Amino acid sequence: MQIVLSGLATGAIYGLVAMAFAIAFYVTRVINFAQGQLLMVAVMVTAALSRAGWPTGVAIVAGLVAAVVFGALIYLLAVRPVLAFDRFSFAWLVSTLGVATILEAGAALIWGPTSRGFPTMLNGRPVHLLGAVISLQQVLAIAAGVVAVAAFELFRRRTLFGKLGMAIAADPEMASAIGANTQAVAVAAFALAGLLAGVAGVLVGPITFANPYIGSTFGINGFVALMIGGIERPAGAMAGGLLLGVLSQLANTEINSQASDWFPFVIVVVVLLLRPSGLFSGARWPRLRLARPS
Amino acid sequence: MIRRAAVLVVVAGYALITLTVARGSLYDQSLVLTAACFGILAISLDMVAGMTGLYSLGHAGLFAVGAYATTLLNLHQNMGVFTTLPIVVIGTGGLGLIIGSLSLRVSGLYFAITTFIFTLVVGVLASDLSITGGLQGLPGPLFPNFPDSLTGLGSSVAWCIMLALALTIFLAWAIRRSALHPVLLAIRDAEPFAAAAGVRTAVVKIGLFGLSAALAGLAGWAFSFLGVVSPGQFSWNVSVSILVMVIIGGINTTVGPLIGAAFVSMFPAYVNFSALWQELLFGALFVVVIVFVPQGVAGLLAQLWRRLRPRAGAPAGITDDRPATSTAKAGWAGERVGGESPVAVECRGVTFSYLRPVNAVDGVDMVVRRGTIHGLIGPNGSGKSTLVNLIAGQHRPDAGTIRVNGADLAGAGPWARPRHGLARTFQTAVLVKELPARSNVAIGRYARVPHIAARAPVWPLLPSAHRDSRALAAQADAALALVGMGAWAGQRVAQVPHGVEQLTQLAAAAVSGSRVLVLDEPLAGLSQNEVDHVAAILRDLRDAGVTVIVIEHQVRFVFDVCDEVTVLSAGALVTSGPAAEVRENARVREVYLGQ
Repeated sequence: MQIVLSGLATGAIYGLVAMAFAIAFYVTRVINFAQGQLLMVAVMVTAALSRAGWPTGVAIVAGLVAAVVFGALIYLLAVRPVLAFDRFSFAWLVSTLGVATILEAGAALIWGPTSRGFPTMLNGRPVHLLGAVISLQQVLAIAAGVVAVAAFELFRRRTLFGKLGMAIAADPEMASAIGANTQAVAVAAFALAGLLAGVAGVLVGPITFANPYIGSTFGINGFVALMIGGIERPAGAMAGGLLLGVLSQLANTEINSQASDWFPFVIVVVVLLLRPSGLFSGARWPRLRLARPS
Repeated sequence: MIRRAAVLVVVAGYALITLTVARGSLYDQSLVLTAACFGILAISLDMVAGMTGLYSLGHAGLFAVGAYATTLLNLHQNMGVFTTLPIVVIGTGGLGLIIGSLSLRVSGLYFAITTFIFTLVVGVLASDLSITGGLQGLPGPLFPNFPDSLTGLGSSVAWCIMLALALTIFLAWAIRRSALHPVLLAIRDAEPFAAAAGVRTAVVKIGLFGLSAALAGLAGWAFSFLGVVSPGQFSWNVSVSILVMVIIGGINTTVGPLIGAAFVSMFPAYVNFSALWQELLFGALFVVVIVFVPQGVAGLLAQLWRRLRPRAGAPAGITDDRPATSTAKAGWAGERVGGESPVAVECRGVTFSYLRPVNAVDGVDMVVRRGTIHGLIGPNGSGKSTLVNLIAGQHRPDAGTIRVNGADLAGAGPWARPRHGLARTFQTAVLVKELPARSNVAIGRYARVPHIAARAPVWPLLPSAHRDSRALAAQADAALALVGMGAWAGQRVAQVPHGVEQLTQLAAAAVSGSRVLVLDEPLAGLSQNEVDHVAAILRDLRDAGVTVIVIEHQVRFVFDVCDEVTVLSAGALVTSGPAAEVRENARVREVYLGQ
């Protein structure tokens, strides 16, 4: 039980990052490879402001805002322009990885490449649950994962904006023909993805502390979770994250303490071979269609 | 003679550069040779990314496999560096074939992701396994020095790596000069068009990636002689850097990847920044380049060159310069493939559904007699295009048989059609925009020229290939002349009007030598003049003994030109027979003509 619960807690973080990938992809068909770095931005900003004496709550909100703003900026500065030039349908791959490098190096320049403290939040408050002991912070992470999936699905199905997202995902040209502002929805999707990555950062900050390179770690794990769960459905991405978290935890205890370094890749390779569209996606991969700025 | 002199000058120049490097300081050597290794990588990546649109992020991983394999084989098996070379190159090539065949069945995005994960996995293995020396890595093997008599040549490693680079440049250049190059671009931009021309697109893609992977392995082999081999040199960022080299220099150009590799790998040596600033600058460079100069340095220069060069005025429009004499028209007949039986295409009980239980085509029987123009009409959604796609192999029927020139092709893919004498055009022409009309038409002959893909890497060395290149150009020009487009042969398709594009497509199908042509709405978007022009071409084709199946909406055209007509409605056959009879059929008047 201990393994499952702490696995779920880590998995929820991976799942949030994977969901962030999936939401941005859902609307724009672009994988934002700087997603993990958005998590890092939230962590670093929160840590810096909290050290500067800001109340923890305010620092956290500022960190989340920073992730949201950077998310939107990535779309506007690095994704939209390259989608306009459609000969290289994968140009976004280079530009978003470029942004990832900029954010990581930038953070290391500003705050130094070493770890710094992060507000403790609810970490270190033990909870006894089903015969296992985990911290309240971990409980919060699992809860956040569940809430994020539920909220996103409600938002997608019940609000006009969410339906607009679905329409754009299905056919961007048709959606813009009926008057949808595809650009606004795309910016919103990137911002929302930034928020989710930011939330993941705030949840994991007390455990990992603030370090410019946690972005890569969680970005890669989130991406692996995304591949396991399937890129087409954000809820599937979360499921992939939870599964990855539990399995990694299992590998750590059953094989050796280094196993979580390579075990995720074993899982993802198996999944990619057996079911390329991911475990929790309904259909096969659709043809790649890119939203183009009109 | 001039060509031979040019080759000599280039080779001599390259040897001189190599000599300078080989006798230069160790610092300069390591700078240039590292750049040369990345040059090999960038060129090999451009082969897949530039020519076929396959964005591999696996090149850092393959590079690592090459370097580690060389080092480990030398360390543990005591193998000489030249014994390891074939093992490494064939091994990484095989790895590429495996990755390619696993991932290309899905999509290009999936390919990028799979190769990305491959690089991550290699990175994890390299840093976690004990045999690879962990994060510190392993010292690379020593490269044997020249024998004493040759010491004047300087460093042997430099010669070796520069030779590997020269080989890579040659391979890429040869492919670019070969008849395969337009085909590769077609796979990238117009895959259905390439498949319809008889190209097994998946096989070509996988094979090309295998070649590219083998070259990445070669780069790794060469790189291992330059010092320590450690995981940090092959992280996923390196995959991205290689892609950036290709893009900065100019994707899908001969020298672009080299320029990019030299610039990106030497750049840090000339700027004196801390490592972090360097990284930041690199990230910014990625974004700025991809946003502002996506065509790269070589692309920019080519653009400038096109603008400066005095342009021959574009032809005024579609000029009907079709040869009038019957001997010239007989050119259509060519060396035709396919049987001589009186039935060209025969469909029996063909059924197909996109989404069960609705049948888009429901038990249709259709017989197309040889030497006729056969019209296929019906209201929107009646299943015409689906039936044509079934005949052409885009879909496979759920039930029923499709015989083309006597061969049952129901289960074969589109690429098998031209071998059985069937070619097709598409409703909307999708061609390779950056190539001239002539090259696009030549793609249509892919199935007729033996071993284009296998000969491509050594194309310029083969006399037979030179003959084939000349023959292809001549045949393409002749076909364009026969559709009245002779004046447009040298124009890039990006710059031609819609009608010319449609006729280029028609010429590509006709030049294949197939005895059956399937035309899906060849008149879409054409003016009245152009319609008459197409009608005349179809008659020419029929007179040359070619069977034509044509989907069309313009009823006047259909009953004017077609000998026989098949009418579909809601996926089912209404009637089929001589045009005059069909025209009088009461149900046809009801469902289609609205009378």
